[in-house]
Amino acid sequence: MDLLPSRDQLELTAAAAEFFSEQVPIAGIRARRDEPASLDTKTWLAGAELGLLGLSAPEEVGGSGLGLDDEALVFREIGRALAPGPFLGTVLGARLAVLAGRPDLAASMVDGRTAVALAELRDGSVGPEGLGGRLDVLDPEGSTYVLVLGEDGAALVETAALGDLEPLAGIDPGTRLASATVGAASAACWLPADQEPLRLRALVLASAMLVGIAEAVRDQASDHAKNRVQFGRPIGVNQAIKHRCADMAVAAEAALSQTMFGAVALQSGRADREFQVLAARIVSSRAALDGASANIQIHGGMGYTYEHDAHLYLKRAQVLDHLFLQRTDALGGLLAQAAAQ
Amino acid sequence: MDLDFSPEQVQFREEVRTWLTEHVPREQRPEEPAGMREFDLGWQRTQWEGGWAGIAWPEQYGGRGLTLVQQLIWYEEYARTGLPGIDANFVGLSHAGPTLMTRATEEQKAFHLPRILRGDVVWCQGFSEPGAGSDLAALSTRAVIDGDELVVTGQKIWTSFANIADHQELLVRTTRGDSKHHGITWVICDMNSPGIDVRPIETIEGGAEFCEVFYDEVRIPLENVVGGVDDGWRVAMSTLSFERGTAFTANQVRLADTVEKLIDTAREHPGPDGRRPAIEDDEIARRLATARAEVAALRAMTYAGVCRNLRTDTPGPEGSMLKLYYAEVAKEVGRLAMDVIGPDALRLVSRWAPGGGWTGNYFYSFSQSIGGGTSEIQRNIIGDRVLGLPR
Ligand SMILES: Cc1cc2nc3c(=O)[nH]c(=O)nc-3n(C[C@H](O)[C@H](O)[C@H](O)COP(=O)(O)OP(=O)(O)OC[C@H]3O[C@@H](n4cnc5c(N)ncnc54)[C@H](O)[C@@H]3O)c2cc1C
Repeated sequence: MDLLPSRDQLELTAAAAEFFSEQVPIAGIRARRDEPASLDTKTWLAGAELGLLGLSAPEEVGGSGLGLDDEALVFREIGRALAPGPFLGTVLGARLAVLAGRPDLAASMVDGRTAVALAELRDGSVGPEGLGGRLDVLDPEGSTYVLVLGEDGAALVETAALGDLEPLAGIDPGTRLASATVGAASAACWLPADQEPLRLRALVLASAMLVGIAEAVRDQASDHAKNRVQFGRPIGVNQAIKHRCADMAVAAEAALSQTMFGAVALQSGRADREFQVLAARIVSSRAALDGASANIQIHGGMGYTYEHDAHLYLKRAQVLDHLFLQRTDALGGLLAQAAAQ
Repeated sequence: MDLDFSPEQVQFREEVRTWLTEHVPREQRPEEPAGMREFDLGWQRTQWEGGWAGIAWPEQYGGRGLTLVQQLIWYEEYARTGLPGIDANFVGLSHAGPTLMTRATEEQKAFHLPRILRGDVVWCQGFSEPGAGSDLAALSTRAVIDGDELVVTGQKIWTSFANIADHQELLVRTTRGDSKHHGITWVICDMNSPGIDVRPIETIEGGAEFCEVFYDEVRIPLENVVGGVDDGWRVAMSTLSFERGTAFTANQVRLADTVEKLIDTAREHPGPDGRRPAIEDDEIARRLATARAEVAALRAMTYAGVCRNLRTDTPGPEGSMLKLYYAEVAKEVGRLAMDVIGPDALRLVSRWAPGGGWTGNYFYSFSQSIGGGTSEIQRNIIGDRVLGLPR
């Protein structure tokens, strides 16, 4: 039993963190605000080159063959860095393609040539034949496929098959949003949920990103509490501030521990994997949302500005909190499980 | 990372489970002091005889010499029996014992440690005073050196189990100087010494294991000092780091079972509308699910904490995060139960009653954010020592 990162994992995450801080600074989100894509192609390909898109993919398709725990640790860095771009969709898409017997497709996703956007079905249905209905699509620009999760499984559908996408104003300046209404579009790949519950994997990676956000806002708030002076003293001496920072730290720690527990539970096929993953999603969403809100408050007026990063953490946390599963469904789903193993 | 237990650990769990099924006490724990003492020591003695005492203690002191992983397995299996935890053996096993192991002389260890494991003695903790609670270093119970003895005069308060204890880990002031942290001494006090007066204090739960202790020129041999005269603060800090680090593992593990029991209760018990089961009430259902998620996270944090402790001997300030999270979740669970049981919330049922009492547990839950350092103090520690915020 070991729930702490190994030396190799620490090295891996340090390399990912360095890439994001150097190549994908948060200020870039503001700079690219009006660009069609939230991330430029050159950086995307550099990330692929570094292996970020193939961590858990088999070596046959150009991946590293690592575990979901490794991948989750890297997604925690993506969350911490607020890195924009279709990382989540493409990594999950590659997994789907491998399991659906399309290694060729998976290989082109792992090396960054084929990007996969996430699509949330608003109404309608998706199945082995394809999909029909109304969709919200995240970061569609430059994508070849969209990934759609349904009750019975997950599908990859060509973005072109969705017809005209109507751009929408999204809450997060680092996530492009569009909607599509589709009569019928066929699935390029279909992965039945009983073969692999891809939604649980998606929830683990989203939870890991939420953990990264919770940790980032904890650190940003603590730094500000140390440096901002009012009434002749740093504001962090006041317990109204200090204790809020402490609560952020505890929530982030709980979320991290549970997310790693969930990742390992899913990967090792434990009987209680769904229980553990839903719990991870619930605590990590809360840690990120509460933490991001507290961080804005601790920054005062500056926290309310567009120029500061505080709102970007909050907005990304809201996006992730609403992906793949709504909160009430996560709670209901958890309560419906048998007790943890 | 993995969640797998080794074949030996799996076998260990099997053995624990089998043994517990056969040996766990079936009768209800007496509420009066003498009976409680007999019950708690008897149970400890049974564990000792079965070879389960001091699982992670070194063999030379009578322990099994295994790791905290096996200790964790024991707590998990013990929690499954549904018995409440914290009892009169807590201070000996989780505070005094570990502190003696790291700070005491070989003679002190050889004398005291096996007695704790065998269930011969009850220990209590004499740290808090009327004027020194959160600000422990403000303690003023005086000790003057007279020949080869310390002569102690003063008062302690909130001393759990002082009324049935044989020994006490006692903090006294030997020197009054510029720094309140200097001049404190950690000493082993024989609770049968002349000059000690123990008065029980009834608690919110109704029990009377809580005491105030008065010392009137109590003579304690200097050889009972642990870690050197005037150097007791450092010893006390290691006691507290055990308290915040590993001592609550049993409670944390038990809380998960409490939540499962509460969910079962909510499935059977009529809810706020008096007709449908409580679990069909949306608000109760969501709070139950949230509690389930939180105790899952508490367990994951406990596992991570055990892994961290396997890498270092003395727990660091991270223990405060676990303690704080646990206390807050425990209180929410205590309160949620009062909503789940609806009108039955008027009836006082002890947490030691067969099947466990939700109302007794509710009142008990308030102690979790006070004892062992309040939640506010844990937040200070996290702010100062984990996050490095200014004081
Ligand atoms: C069930 C139980 C068992 C106990 N058993 C023992 C025992 O066996 N031996 C023993 O020695 N003690 C024991 N205690 C005592 C316990 O350690 C103290 O109650 C605790 O440390 C708080 O001290 P206090 O009661 O004096 O409260 P205070 O220190 O007076 O605190 C009162 C309130 O003020 C807050 N406060 C105090 N200082 C600060 C600060 N700097 N910043 C923010 N808030 C602050 C506290 O958080 C609390 O809310 C036990 C307590 C309980 C509840």
